[in-house]
Amino acid sequence: MRSVTLNIRLFFQGALLSYVALFRWLSPMTYLASKVLMPLAQILFFSFLGMYATGQANASFYVIGNAIQLAAVSGIFGVTMSIGGDRWEGTLPYLFGTPANRMAMFVGRAFFHVLDGMVGVVLALMWGVLLLGLDLSHANPLALGLTILVATFSTSGMGLLLGCISLITLNVMFINNTVYFSLLVFSGANVPLSTLPAWMQSVAWALPLTRSIAAARQIIAGGSLAEVAPLLWMEVLIGAIYILAGYFLFRWFERQAKLRGTLDIF
Amino acid sequence: MAPLNAIEVRNLRRIYRTTIGVIRRRVKEVVAVDDISFDVAPGELFGLLGPNGAGKTTMVKMLTTLLIPSAGTARVLGFDVVDQADPIRPRIGFIFGGERGLYWRLSAIDNLRYFASLYHVEPEIARKRIPYLLELVRLDGRGQEKVEGYSRGMKQRLHVARTLLHDPELLFLDEPTIGLDPIGARELRQVIRNLQSEKKTILLTTHYMFEADALCERIAVIDHGRIVALDTPEGLKRHVRDLSVIELEVYGIPPELLDVLRALEVVEAVTVENRDQKQAVLVQSPGGSEAVPEILAALSGLRVGKVIVREPTLEDAYVRLVGGEVEP
Amino acid sequence: MRKLTLYARVILASAEMSVRETMTDGFVVFGIFVQPLIIALLGLWMLRDRGGDYGIFVVVGSGLTGLWSSLLFISGNSITHERWTGTLETLVGVPTPMGVIVLGKNLANVLQSIGSMAVSYLLASLLFGYPLTVAQPIQFVISLFLTVVAFVTFGLVIAPIFVMNPDVQRWQNGLEFPIYILAGFLFPIALLPGWTTPISYLLAPYWAAQALHLTSSGGGTSGEISIAWGMMLLFSLVYVLLSRTLFRVMLRKARSEATLGLE
Ligand SMILES: Nc1ncnc2c1ncn2[C@@H]1O[C@H](COP(=O)(O)OP(=O)(O)O)[C@@H](O)[C@H]1O
Ligand SMILES: [Mg+2]
Repeated sequence: MRSVTLNIRLFFQGALLSYVALFRWLSPMTYLASKVLMPLAQILFFSFLGMYATGQANASFYVIGNAIQLAAVSGIFGVTMSIGGDRWEGTLPYLFGTPANRMAMFVGRAFFHVLDGMVGVVLALMWGVLLLGLDLSHANPLALGLTILVATFSTSGMGLLLGCISLITLNVMFINNTVYFSLLVFSGANVPLSTLPAWMQSVAWALPLTRSIAAARQIIAGGSLAEVAPLLWMEVLIGAIYILAGYFLFRWFERQAKLRGTLDIF
Repeated sequence: MAPLNAIEVRNLRRIYRTTIGVIRRRVKEVVAVDDISFDVAPGELFGLLGPNGAGKTTMVKMLTTLLIPSAGTARVLGFDVVDQADPIRPRIGFIFGGERGLYWRLSAIDNLRYFASLYHVEPEIARKRIPYLLELVRLDGRGQEKVEGYSRGMKQRLHVARTLLHDPELLFLDEPTIGLDPIGARELRQVIRNLQSEKKTILLTTHYMFEADALCERIAVIDHGRIVALDTPEGLKRHVRDLSVIELEVYGIPPELLDVLRALEVVEAVTVENRDQKQAVLVQSPGGSEAVPEILAALSGLRVGKVIVREPTLEDAYVRLVGGEVEP
Repeated sequence: MRKLTLYARVILASAEMSVRETMTDGFVVFGIFVQPLIIALLGLWMLRDRGGDYGIFVVVGSGLTGLWSSLLFISGNSITHERWTGTLETLVGVPTPMGVIVLGKNLANVLQSIGSMAVSYLLASLLFGYPLTVAQPIQFVISLFLTVVAFVTFGLVIAPIFVMNPDVQRWQNGLEFPIYILAGFLFPIALLPGWTTPISYLLAPYWAAQALHLTSSGGGTSGEISIAWGMMLLFSLVYVLLSRTLFRVMLRKARSEATLGLE
């Protein structure tokens, strides 16, 4: 019982820590800009490109895809930042020296970014309604909310995995940026998946976001929660798999670092 | 006509303004260089000696045209450092102690080639000069390696090579041996001696007394932005020739008692050194052993161990000039 | 004359140095190669239904996105980067004007980005099998040259501004996609609401995109092409004049406020 409370505390401390770290990076004004204006520019760019390619009628296809895709900003950049931060601050050896439950420590880091990511997606959808004629009147709010939660959860899972990779490699930003941009192609945000080659489709279904985007499109078109439930369950599973993979990589990394005495180098 | 002096500094001041506090912003002023004047003759190796924060780097930055003085004038090779930076820059070289300021991802040779072109050294001349300089700073054979793999001493020696690329007549070396181990520092001092024999004018700053003593022809001791003494090393030692140093072993001493000591007629300067569990109070006094009873009387009530009376060293001269707060 | 040779040498040396230094920098490799290639891929896919003619349009347009992003993030940070390395003081203390050094660094970035345009050209023709013909090759090369000039000189304006205002620098993320949109890199600005058009006209990247698209995809009158060229030249001139003042102000400010170092 005591260990449960301990771990819960650890979890929220991790969450708080990454929250504070984020604001040390960004001033409140910049945070607001990055939350409100930047997503708008990206959505507009891809939506216009999409409309130019396939006609005005398809605007909502691109708006929804790119709005959900924004979950990856917090999920990938935010989460890796809060894990990689330890490496730059040189606090890694101290973390590894603690008896703390690694899983609680680890997932706590991602918690705040899930919330942050959800806010980002909601704001992005608002922009869609305001500027690009997105119609949310047929959407079941609960189902849409759940989809957004699931999307940020699964991208944060991926972020945890990438964050652990960032403990090993030097080019964190390179990997993060590449993954983020690749998701723009693979997640189906901008291209109907059925038009991709078969191998790319298989990759797409193994990544987070793909199902969330598909589900969001169905819901906004009037689909019910029951219809998209299988997609959402699978998305949760995928997120969990990424978290587990990240967790085991983290443990492996910890063991290797202790074996070889490379804690300080990383 | 060649200027009479390589460097002429007249009443130079530099004030830094920094804002502190986030919500209630206040402006804080630091007078880093406070009304300093001195001259350096061509070919001279001149030292600026002072503790950390004395204003040495600020002085060097103003003389190398990187910082604009708040008041006063400085002429380098006859040119004004504020308005005539252009003719000064090709004629001087400078290094600021420490390992930053090089492109770590590039090799030493690439670094040198790049800076050679920035200093307008003709490519053919650079090609010959780079191997020569690498040898001079004892990096020959390591020139192809990336700088990031260099030790701190190697990087600092590479800085020396960098600043000699365009064969400047006047060199500014700001704490060139800072952070080096004793062997690295000795090697670098040897390089500086070689430069001196090439008849270059050098302004060297340091916070090591013995380094200034070993290298410089004249030393300006500065503290809190002011010159407190300017003389040859021998002249500086003469400042303390008439004094003795009384060392008192104590086990913790309250600061008020130090002030009591300082107030005594027979006491010139007081410093405290930590020695394991104990401390040593170093008192400079013209009275020698005759002053001991008076000093012990002033410390009555305090447990005092061994008492030694000895001749002053150069270190003591420095201590006397810059007050008690120097590091050993 | 001697001065020109000296400066030309410095520009080349700075460009070479910049390439060598950034070759292994993940951030730069991403900005110059990966991001524009992914955008090219995406563009090719998205515009596929419009037929093969759009191949060259996407290649040029995505190349321009790479050009703009690398200008914004790499050239924009070129002085700040030297400050972090600790080399800024030395660079200010050398006899070469700072602007010449920055020019060389910008040139390297812009040429690298043009190189990435060539890579996406190959990608489009080999992977997608598009017949990629440039409608007016000679005019296209001239447009490319003027684009390089306009971007390099624009880099001279943003670097000192970014150094002097650290806050501006944090907003540079926010300048990336809006310019993609307003300059018409991958879709015509006719799609946008009318009030944005005057803004586009004030952007050199818009005229670069105009000249490059017209001469590669074809269909432009020589009048339209000449206007785009003229605007690029005009902007380059304005940028050069502006940058002289900016550099002077920046150096004076840095020398009096002691902000060359990191401390
Ligand atoms: N850029 C700066 N802004 C504010 N204060 C500074 C700055 N640089 C130096 N100082 C202050 O000026 C004083 C002299 O510093 P410095 O010239 O670096 O001394 P030294 O090189 O002798 O150690 C110190 O009190 C230092 O804190
Ligand atoms: Mg200093």
